[in-house]
Amino acid sequence: MKAQLSFLLSFALFSSLPAKDEDYAPGTDAMPKEGVPRGAVTKHSWESEIFPGTVRDYWVYVPSQYKEGNPASLLICQDGGGFVRENGAFRAPTVLDNLIHAGDIPVTIGIFVNPGVVPAVKEGQQPRKNRSFEYDTLSDQYARFLLEEILPEVGKSYQITNDPANRVICGNSSGGICAFTAAWERPAAFGNVISHIGSFTNIRGGHVYPALIRKSEPKPIRVFLQDGENDLDNLHGNWPIANEQMAAALEYAGYDYQFVMGTGKHSGRHGGAIFPDTLRWIWRDWNAADPEN
Amino acid sequence: MKHQCLLAFISGFLLWVGNANSQDMPLSQVLIEGEGWEVAAEGFDFADGLCTDADGNLYFSDVKGGTAVYKVDLEGTMSEFISDAPGISGLQWGSDGRLYACVAREQRVVVFDPEGAETELVNEVRPNDLVVTHDGNLYFTMTPTQEIRRIDPEGKMSIVSEGVVTKPNGITLSRDQGTLAVSDHGGKFVWAFRVEEDGTLGHPGNYMEMRTPVADPEIARGDGMATDVHGRYYVTTAEGLQMFDPTGRMGGVIATPDPESMLVSVCFAGPDHAYLYVANGGKIYRRKTKTSGALFFQKPKPAEAP
Repeated sequence: MKAQLSFLLSFALFSSLPAKDEDYAPGTDAMPKEGVPRGAVTKHSWESEIFPGTVRDYWVYVPSQYKEGNPASLLICQDGGGFVRENGAFRAPTVLDNLIHAGDIPVTIGIFVNPGVVPAVKEGQQPRKNRSFEYDTLSDQYARFLLEEILPEVGKSYQITNDPANRVICGNSSGGICAFTAAWERPAAFGNVISHIGSFTNIRGGHVYPALIRKSEPKPIRVFLQDGENDLDNLHGNWPIANEQMAAALEYAGYDYQFVMGTGKHSGRHGGAIFPDTLRWIWRDWNAADPEN
Repeated sequence: MKHQCLLAFISGFLLWVGNANSQDMPLSQVLIEGEGWEVAAEGFDFADGLCTDADGNLYFSDVKGGTAVYKVDLEGTMSEFISDAPGISGLQWGSDGRLYACVAREQRVVVFDPEGAETELVNEVRPNDLVVTHDGNLYFTMTPTQEIRRIDPEGKMSIVSEGVVTKPNGITLSRDQGTLAVSDHGGKFVWAFRVEEDGTLGHPGNYMEMRTPVADPEIARGDGMATDVHGRYYVTTAEGLQMFDPTGRMGGVIATPDPESMLVSVCFAGPDHAYLYVANGGKIYRRKTKTSGALFFQKPKPAEAP
């Protein structure tokens, strides 16, 4: 209840202030706190077969509270390097440290995955960037990449829950629509979506989601959307209108969703500023005293 | 101090966004208001095989009715560059100063020296279009057999892709020549391959999705291709001349000059290679742009920021 109240308050705060993008900043939940144990972040690299020829880095966050035998909840983030950066807009490991310690969210393993590149073979050549292909394409390919490659690999070392209600996929921009696509394609694997400045625009056809949502049997996905009034308006589409269309479609179809429209630009600053409360909202039904429920 | 922190924070963030999001490349970066298509040459059955040299002269063929390789110079004057060369569907200059050609009708790939003397490279092949790298590797598409073949600098031919692209047709390179792109005449993707150190092709990806006709949603009729100095790819299709950014995102569709005829070939030529030329039925059209073409007979360079 308390968490919910502070969540509502902070949203009221952020939506009522005429904030500039630069005014959004990480709050105290994103700062290391005395007495809060810190989880371990390790860096890995991966050669994919589902995205042939690509290599990428990913990071795994394991909270100090993780115990073998107790499968952890899951947070997966696209453009993972940005989410784990200690001075970034999100500082996800520190946020997870603080929220897990406070009992606001369950013991959660974070997997932060960068987009792939097909490396160049000669000096002076550019790698083939696969980010747009992986994130903007409307298919199950990225979901399969996570389910058949990354999660089994991390699963060799750590146990992760199969309960979709405790599995969250998150991203910014194209990483945001990618999160939605993964859940849309595999709702039994990803029950929660967090999209910041999501590119529900026509980069590779993603503008059709509001129409698909309205005319599809609702899927069991909880969706958090954030965007800013000053987000992009370009050849691919208009981000604020696209996110409003997404919110309206989710509302129409009866989804469990939350839409926060701020005044920011195409950056992660607003999404980062409210990230701790977003995680509390995602896990608002979770009860620390009764973790099974 | 606070200000400094904020600046460091912002620049750190911009760095991340900058890496994550490639720059948007709308048509407005290429097209010039008021500069539409104009006829550059006409009177052919089926113009094809557009290519350019270092000076910006245009070379092309008439694959159906023609008997020569034609040239349009910088003054716009047309001439026969090589006589008695019928049935050519693809042309490209090499870094060796020779003109390479797919002779579709005779099922041969040949090369013309500066005096116009022909040397046969391979025969009993089904060549459609070609590209020649700065280091002398020639790649050509074999549309009916779903193949991409390579002729290495020693003249040895090998199959470098088979069964990946439904109807491989147009072919180009990234500006740094590390990626080879092939359009599908029987599908909706432009495929990207890595050019490996040994000249083979690796890691095909259906990297660019072309716009397709509403009535034929799976077949874009991808045909001729070109690349500009910013790494943008251009491909002629049933829907027009489609442009893609270097990360494979469609940036826009440039209208076909004459929608009643097929749009089959594209290259940058003319002064500063700043004009887009297209073969569109019996005519060749051109229009001035804000960009210029990548020239693969020149040393590979990284794509420039727009």
